[in-house]
Amino acid sequence: MSANPQIHNHQDNLTHKEINGQDLKKLVEASLTWLRTNQQIVNSLNVFPVPDGDTGTNMVLTMQAAFDEVKDSSEENLGEIAHTIAHGALMGARGNSGVILSQIWRGFARSVDNLPTMDTPNFVKAITVARDTAYKGVVRPVEGTILTVIKDLASKAESALDVTDNLVSMLELLVEEANASVQRTPELLPVLKEANVVDSGGKGLYFIFDGMLRYINGEVLDVTDAKVKPLAEMALANTMEQIEPGQDFEVVVDFRPQKELDLSIFYDNLEQMGTSIQVGEGDGIYRMHIHVPTENLYKPIDYTRDLGVVTKVAIENLIDQMENQQGGCNRTQPTITPIQPGHIAVIAVSPGVGISRVFASLGVAAIVEGGQTMNPSTQEIIHAFEKLPTDKIIILPNNKNIILTAKSATELSVKKVAVVPTSSIPQGLTAMMRLIPSGDFDSVIDEMNAAIEEVQTGEITIATRSVEIDGVEVEEGQVIGLLNGKLVLSTSSLDEACLGILEAAHAQDYELITLFYGADLPKKDIPILENLIQEKYPDQEIEIQEGCQPHYYLIISIE
Amino acid sequence: MTDEIKPIGSIHVSPRAIAAIAYHAALQSYGLVGLTSKNIVEGLAQVLVKDPTHGVEVNYNGEQIKIDLYVIIEYGTRIKSVANSVKNSVRYHVEKALGMPIDEINVHVRGLRISSLD
Repeated sequence: MSANPQIHNHQDNLTHKEINGQDLKKLVEASLTWLRTNQQIVNSLNVFPVPDGDTGTNMVLTMQAAFDEVKDSSEENLGEIAHTIAHGALMGARGNSGVILSQIWRGFARSVDNLPTMDTPNFVKAITVARDTAYKGVVRPVEGTILTVIKDLASKAESALDVTDNLVSMLELLVEEANASVQRTPELLPVLKEANVVDSGGKGLYFIFDGMLRYINGEVLDVTDAKVKPLAEMALANTMEQIEPGQDFEVVVDFRPQKELDLSIFYDNLEQMGTSIQVGEGDGIYRMHIHVPTENLYKPIDYTRDLGVVTKVAIENLIDQMENQQGGCNRTQPTITPIQPGHIAVIAVSPGVGISRVFASLGVAAIVEGGQTMNPSTQEIIHAFEKLPTDKIIILPNNKNIILTAKSATELSVKKVAVVPTSSIPQGLTAMMRLIPSGDFDSVIDEMNAAIEEVQTGEITIATRSVEIDGVEVEEGQVIGLLNGKLVLSTSSLDEACLGILEAAHAQDYELITLFYGADLPKKDIPILENLIQEKYPDQEIEIQEGCQPHYYLIISIE
Repeated sequence: MTDEIKPIGSIHVSPRAIAAIAYHAALQSYGLVGLTSKNIVEGLAQVLVKDPTHGVEVNYNGEQIKIDLYVIIEYGTRIKSVANSVKNSVRYHVEKALGMPIDEINVHVRGLRISSLD
């Protein structure tokens, strides 16, 4: 179901009042797909408890782990399937909301234990047990979060049991309540109100229930829902990374239809022309957004002109934008040289394919993808070295947040595994330079540990929200610079940030400055930046490398 | 004492104050059901303490701030994820209140609370 929009209606399966394990499996798959479609929306709402913008990702990964457990199962027993789902959610739980979600599944599963099928009263009971289990996991429940939403859902479910014993109608009521409850969260949690958002975890839970309902109603799950979205919320700027062949132009048309629009016919017709379709509506004006191949460039415009009055048309050449803005980041996968049996193997965590290529050229034995917002699991790290023909393993986590995960990998393997606690890419690369594959394990580790002190790391990114840390005040959207993990400056331009970081690092006392540019940095800016730095630091050697890392415009190594 | 020199004087924040912030941030963290004193012997670790200096240790050596938390976690949650969330949440809230970076936060899981029958 992941690729194709749902066309038929699944109501028949479920109107007969009871569902079995296979039905539940399909509902969970629908939840996962719909949550994933809306992952970025959930991420962008994340301000509590820590504004790190990963709630959506964490919830998706938790649901993914839950679904993976039952994906290939043909078990009909509902209780069994629910238990397996809960187990998967527990094992895959990441982040605060992921843990809460896994508790919700745990309570749900316990309630339907041993039930071959589930009817509406069973379902309602399961939701209330899920609520109770969720609330048990915290001393001071903070209201205005996912906890409040599950609580409201449980109350609604209990009271609605008098009105209906039909599962589909029950689900409809719950989705409605989830939405209302999410809208109320800013009233309960001041930090949400200040940031002018609703709670991210609560919104995620809403998408989970809504995904089930959409599946039953045969609605599309892999395209963001345009029908309910107000015009102002249409995020047209963030479409860059989704661009695939056949998406040469972005066409946005505002129009006022003459008679009411039949959205399903409208969507069907648009799908003949292109992809990435979004439709927004406000005050009778519709905005249609579509990506089309060159030969279809004018078709959406002609089509909307037939429907009513076109008020505005905007066309952008995506191919050109891609080349300029994304710099056509070279996605060539690194070539890893197989290691000699018995030699020391280094596993490096890398956030971008460019950086991976540099690591590969230095002779790492395996690369694990991961970085700031995508921490790899212990499992992924172990998996990377398990099959290597050696017992001597060194892990370079290359990110502060991954060091701990890497360390737990050392405890779970029978091999001799050591972690050199590199907290940045430059540290990782510097450590890598000290590798002598046939050398003595302990002395190589000592060398690496000593080496990581010798390099300074600068990182430049965009602030995702306004905050004050380390005495530096930051406005959302500003360019910020971090030196060795600490925020040192915020400014409006990349050039200033870059020079500021070099100054703070006393770059004049070092020899080599290496810039790894990220996937989001316009390629044309790089030579300008290079000249600027060379002018200021004529005695230092400057090297430019394609990093392809997300989020960080630049990672700077000063050594 | 945690000191910050300002042109017109200095600000002193006692470890106890930092511990109180950490304590509140930790207790709001999902999956954590209590803090427990470091020194109580293993068998008594189940005693949950309400005083904000118990279960939280703040060390300041003149340069670096280090926080140690001794916690009890709800049985049935993923301990690693909960401990990570606690750490993130404490770091965020303390740094936000203090305006200074925390160098190290260690979460010591001292026990699990089994509150439901499965």
